[in-house]
Order: sequence, then C-alpha cells, then structure tokens
Amino acid sequence: MNPPFGIPPELFTILLALGLLAGFVGLNGLVLVYLERKVAGHIQRRPGPFEVGPHGILQPLADALKLVGKQLITPRGADKWLFWTAPIISFAPVFVLFLPIPFGPVLTAMEMDLGLLLILAFAGINVLALCLAGWSSENKWSLLGAARAVAQSVAYEIPLLLAVLAIAFQFGSLNLSTIVSGQGAWPWQWNIMVQPVAFFIYFVCALAETNRAPFDLPEAESELTAGFHTEYSGMGFGIFFLAEYANMIVVCAVATALFLGGWNGPAAPGVWWFLVKVYLLLLVMMWFRWTYPRVRFDQLLNLSWKWLLPLALINLLVTLVLVKI
Amino acid sequence: METLAYVAFGVYTTIILFGGLMAVFSRNLVRALVGLALTLFGVAGCYLLMAAPFMALMQILIYVAAVSIMIFFAIMLTKPPVGAEEQPGRPWWVVAGCIVAALAPTMLIARVLHVQPLVSHEHPTEIVLMDLGQTFIEPYFLAFELISVILTVAMAGAVLLAFERRQGQ
Repeated sequence: MNPPFGIPPELFTILLALGLLAGFVGLNGLVLVYLERKVAGHIQRRPGPFEVGPHGILQPLADALKLVGKQLITPRGADKWLFWTAPIISFAPVFVLFLPIPFGPVLTAMEMDLGLLLILAFAGINVLALCLAGWSSENKWSLLGAARAVAQSVAYEIPLLLAVLAIAFQFGSLNLSTIVSGQGAWPWQWNIMVQPVAFFIYFVCALAETNRAPFDLPEAESELTAGFHTEYSGMGFGIFFLAEYANMIVVCAVATALFLGGWNGPAAPGVWWFLVKVYLLLLVMMWFRWTYPRVRFDQLLNLSWKWLLPLALINLLVTLVLVKI
Repeated sequence: METLAYVAFGVYTTIILFGGLMAVFSRNLVRALVGLALTLFGVAGCYLLMAAPFMALMQILIYVAAVSIMIFFAIMLTKPPVGAEEQPGRPWWVVAGCIVAALAPTMLIARVLHVQPLVSHEHPTEIVLMDLGQTFIEPYFLAFELISVILTVAMAGAVLLAFERRQGQ
C-alpha cells in the first residue's frame, strides 16, 4: 500500500502506464503519419510533404490541428448514438492492448501470464467498431465497407491465432516476457529462424487485420470512397485513424516479441532494440502498401481459407510433434 | 481491496443490466446487438472477479468479438433499411405477460437460494491453466469430445445448407 495516496501500488503502476501510453500512442501517430507520407513520396520518386517545417517535419502537427478544428457532422438519417459510439469503441481497447507488451526487461506495464490472450481478445473488438460505424452511417459505401471488414477479419483471425498458438505451444506460455527471454541475443537465436512459416502467416494476417494495403478493402478509397468511415468528419475520422496506427504498432510489437527476440539484441539489450525492430516492421508494412496493388475480394478470401489456414494447421501440427519429441 | 471488489461488482452488474435492458427494449436490431455485446462484456468482468482471467479473456475473444460479429453478419444478410424495422407498440397484456414470464423463474431461483444457500468459497482462488487443461482431457474427456463433435456437425450442416441453396437457384 502507498500510504500518502492510499492507491495500491499495482493500480498506481497501471495508471502511470496508461498515462505514458496515451502519450506514446499520440506521438507515434504523428511520427507514423509523417513516415507514411515520406515513404509514399520517396517510393513514388517525389519528395513527399516539404512545406511545413524543414523537410515537412511539422506536417503531421498541421494535419492534427486541421482535424481537431473541423466541425463534427452527423449525416441525416444516421443512427446518431451508434455513429458517435463507434470511434470510441474502436479506440478504447488500444490502451489495453499495450499493457502486456514487454518494451524492455523491466518496462512492461502489466506483467501477466495471459498477456498474449489479452491482446488477441481485445484486438477483436475493433471489427465490431468498424461494423457499427459502417452500419450507422446510413450510406451504401459505409455499409459495404463494414460487410467487407466482417468477412475479412473473420477469415484472417483464425490463421493468425493458429500461427501465434504455434509459438505459445513451443514455449508452453502465453506470457510475452517469458517468450522474449526464451530467445537469444543474435538473429539466429530468434524464433523467426525456428518458425519462419508462422512468422509469414502472422505478418500477412496482421496486415489484413489492421486493414493495411494490399488488404485495405474495408476502406478501399478507389471503390468505396473511404469505406466504413466515409461519413466521419474531423476527429471522428481522426480517432479511427489513430486507432489504426495504434493497432499497427501493437501487431508489430507482438511480432517483435514473438518472432524477433523482443528487447534482446547483440549489444546492450533494452527498449531501443524493441523500438528499432517495431519500426523496421512498420516500414515494411508501408513498403508493402506502395508496392502491391489491392487484392480482389475473392482473392482475399481464397488466400486465407485455401492457403493460410491449411498452412497454419500443418505448421501447428509439425510444431506439436516436434515439441513432444 | 474488499471494497474495491464490491465497487467492481456493482459496476459490472450495472453494465450487465443496462446491456440486457438495451438488448430487450431496443426496436433496432443493431442497437439490441450492442446491448448484448455490453452484457457479455460485463459477464467477462464478473469472471475476472471470480479469479478466472482465462475465462474472462475467452469470453471477450469468443463472445464479444466473434459471436457478436457473426450476429451482425446475420443481421446484415437480412437487412431492412435502418429505421424500417420499427414495429408498432405491443398491447399491454403482452408486456405484462413478458414481465410475469421473466419474474417467475427469478423468484423461484431466489427463493431456492434463500432457503438453501449454495456453498461457496470465501475468496475465489485462481485455477492454474495447466490443471484446467488436464481436467478437460482426463475426467471430462467424453463431454469435451462430444462438444467438438456437435460443433463439427453444426459446421458441416451449415456448409451443406449453403451449397443446397446455391444449387437451388
């Protein structure tokens, strides 16, 4: 017990962590917006944002201010109550998702045995938010986007779970810290060497679950205007956007912890290795976005049900047999 | 900590009741679904209070996320335009009948529990996940397997129905 405040120490840690995470998520949102636009620019042989600040570094701040300043409009005929609850439902689980992630040897907000399960459970809620947003907008593009989001997330959640399960079986634990400390400092001691198939499946499914190109069908701008968030203005859209970036960081952080050795590194293990790996994966995600064209919807579903799911099952079986031997 | 637990229990029950009422009284199917999801979320909180975090997380993973989305999918497949599913109000005797039907089992269970209280632990103890798994594959093996068989049959039936409808067109 902490006498001056009367707050239990565990609760205090979590409150502190939540405050820090809010800052982390917001800051990362800004950095990622800038990175995304710069990476997109350079891949398309143009400089990207250049006007606001040196090399356009203040561009995301200007973007954020613009979003905050815009009027919030509820479309006529929309289910007003659900329409404004949806962005909140989309963003609220983000904080829970970050709690069990081991950023460094001691830098974990909440050490828990079921950490991996916690992330998987709360990550699923995002889809519900997309559905509600698409439904309550009373707009055919939004509804089509929501329908796509449902089919896509259901299809890709299963191989993702199976890929993660292979690692969990290998370590006999759902605690991310245990899994990280079970891996060595050098790249050949990381899980990606033992479980390359699981990593491949995980990363493809993570792209689909976060609605990133080439799997960005729920918001496909060239077909559906903006999909499920067509009708959202200002911060309504901004919160969806922030939640998407936060989810990207979470899936990359989980990939880092599960497959890339987490905070382990050849020299001076610590939080910096974790962040470097997470940002490398994020850059790969952006690189994918500007490299691959969007898949067609039947291709998307076929890829999951006919290829990734059987592959994940075989991978899980082989892992089980090897673990038992 | 004891008071904190009571506060948490109060919060969870409020969420459950509010969600339940919303699910029952909403004229709009999607709003009813949101109420249901809220209730399931509150139940997950109650599992957490009973020191069963695994159950709580599974409840969220399966019910709040997967099952709700499945129901949403079902609603979407039968979609009338938003607002068009409003039904005219029901006559008072239907409402009264519903209340009686809801109260009767509640009163019965409350009476039984009052006369013969269930034996329960003073404080919940967390069961190790390994033991839970062991119980599934040892004493309750048959029940566990039967459930998987039922699920497989249900899934095969759904696929079959889908294919029959497609051929029928």
